[in-house]
Amino acid sequence: MNKSKEQLLNKRYKAEQRFRLYGLSAIFMALLFLTIFIFKIFSTGYSAFQKTWLIVPVTFDAELMMLEQNPSNEDLQDADYYDIALKSMADLDPNANEDQENELKRMVSYFFEKEIKNELLNNPGLIGKTKEVYLTASDDLDQVFKGNYPRDLPEDQRRVSDYQLKIFDQLVAKGKVESKFNISFFTYADSREPELAGIASSFMGSIFSILVCLMIAFPVAVLAAIYLEEFAPKNRFTDFIEVNINNLAAVPSIVFGLLGLGVLLAIFHLPRSTPLVGGITLSLMTLPTIIIAARASLKAVPPSIREAALAMGASRMQTTMHHTVPLSMPGTLSGTIIGLAQALGETAPLILIGMVAFVNTIPGSPMDPAASLPVQIYIWAESAERGFVEKVSACIMVLLGFLIIMNLFAQIIRHKFEKKWS
Amino acid sequence: MIKIKAKNVDVFYGKKQALYNIGLDIEENQVTALIGPSGCGKSTFLRCLNRMNDVIDICSVKGEILINDFNINDKSCDVVRLREKIGMVFQKPNPFPKTVYENISYGPTIHGMAQSKQEMDEIVETSLKKAALWEEVKDRLHEPGTGLSGGQQQRLCIARAISVRPEVILMDEPCSALDPIATAQIEELIDELKKEHTIIIVTHSMAQAARVSQNTGFFHLGHLIEHGSTDKIFKNPDNTKTQDYITGRFG
Repeated sequence: MNKSKEQLLNKRYKAEQRFRLYGLSAIFMALLFLTIFIFKIFSTGYSAFQKTWLIVPVTFDAELMMLEQNPSNEDLQDADYYDIALKSMADLDPNANEDQENELKRMVSYFFEKEIKNELLNNPGLIGKTKEVYLTASDDLDQVFKGNYPRDLPEDQRRVSDYQLKIFDQLVAKGKVESKFNISFFTYADSREPELAGIASSFMGSIFSILVCLMIAFPVAVLAAIYLEEFAPKNRFTDFIEVNINNLAAVPSIVFGLLGLGVLLAIFHLPRSTPLVGGITLSLMTLPTIIIAARASLKAVPPSIREAALAMGASRMQTTMHHTVPLSMPGTLSGTIIGLAQALGETAPLILIGMVAFVNTIPGSPMDPAASLPVQIYIWAESAERGFVEKVSACIMVLLGFLIIMNLFAQIIRHKFEKKWS
Repeated sequence: MIKIKAKNVDVFYGKKQALYNIGLDIEENQVTALIGPSGCGKSTFLRCLNRMNDVIDICSVKGEILINDFNINDKSCDVVRLREKIGMVFQKPNPFPKTVYENISYGPTIHGMAQSKQEMDEIVETSLKKAALWEEVKDRLHEPGTGLSGGQQQRLCIARAISVRPEVILMDEPCSALDPIATAQIEELIDELKKEHTIIIVTHSMAQAARVSQNTGFFHLGHLIEHGSTDKIFKNPDNTKTQDYITGRFG
């Protein structure tokens, strides 16, 4: 009798140990996947924050630029920089033939003309002199310099020719190739050329979309939640509404995209590809999330607080506005932020309403066409150029950073402002 | 003087009847205790007096409750005005999660009882003094009310209730969550408060009813079995059920 009891006890301890082991291994697995994921993104993405520059001597020859004596600022603006730009590239190899000169030109981005122009505009005294100018390297050389480009492929399978590599290696040997922090990744809009592509357009697009989404979804959702939780009679009709709100939260986001396409664009003719339409579409998606969070936090306010206020002679509205809603705000706000974070990562509905279009301008308002961060990731991931691979990961890093900050903010609000009641 | 007169009060929770034909007179400036076993309807009756049952969707109240000869179940009765006159203290101390000062000033603010900060300070001070809490909290008026001890919180709730100078104070088992010392303080307070207010207290403790009240009503299964002066109910009840309950044979 005693022995079997002991066996039973042992069995129970063992079962408990096994259970703990399962739990630990589950957590370990989750952490492992997370680590692999983050490691993969960082290891491919970190190099996108560096940009390779070629330092090329440029002779600002007034004749080639078609400039007269003592040019005004306007003259400088209108001057012809293409020829001196071409010449400075061709001068890298004095023995180059015409084909090779063409290849030399393609070692830098097509912005090289503008970069040279900016140099002169900043310092007009350079006319007639020679100065070394930083020129953005082409994306392929950028990748070569970062070690991401397989140099040992046969030449006909490479986008960089042997000749370009030879000149590039000479420049490297002379210390005329430099890697600097890639500011343009944050300040440029999207581009077909990886070395010139940045996230400014999609970042601003995301911010505008989220703001529009917040301004629409938050008031509507909070009012709906307050009405449903505090004022609506509990009957079949409100039950029906509640079920449907929960259903709405489970609707795949692409369906909201179709709604935006069919209603906002087709019927109301709102401007296509804009954060305004994106924000409205996302707000439809965020609405149920915020309603559910707000109702949950209203429910969490103890009924004794409501009774206390009512018994003091506060009206229902006063009770709600003075006590229940302020007490539920931390939960509502953190729910809202989490809903917005979801919306921020949403891609499918935005593709349908046209925010997938190639946008090479930075939007100044929600009415301007823009992309958004997740759509930018999608656009770049689809592109063939090798230079976009690291850009995709870098964009993911920015998006993740954004999301982490938002979620952190939600946590802080929840912890700091949540009042404890006895 | 009769302050409250309940006539033929029936209360239903959905289809279930919770109170049957209650008729009870409550004397002004006296303490009336409502006793009875759990679920007998004494709290329900108490909540009829300031229409707190309105909050419960399925609850319906029938019959007349006259306060100062005015039927509060009448459609013309404004619950906000009613609850200004009839304060309530609950079973569990439920101060607002705000400062001590804000807890007291809330009622006078929403009823527009103070014209200036000074007047409000005065109301807060008198209310706290009447609730015998002033000495303990005068240095921490701007600290959260929820940080006080249980007994202090309950006196804070009483101070909050009397801040709007109600004519009647309803107390729903105000001491059930408190220790004996805090209970004694509250009982003393009740004795003091009855000079200015009419008090109705629901209690589970027969000893408490005997100590604080002048009149007692005994509820059982939704019926008011017997009511009268506390002395009579405790020493010489007419009904055997009352006798059995008071002597502890059931309940």
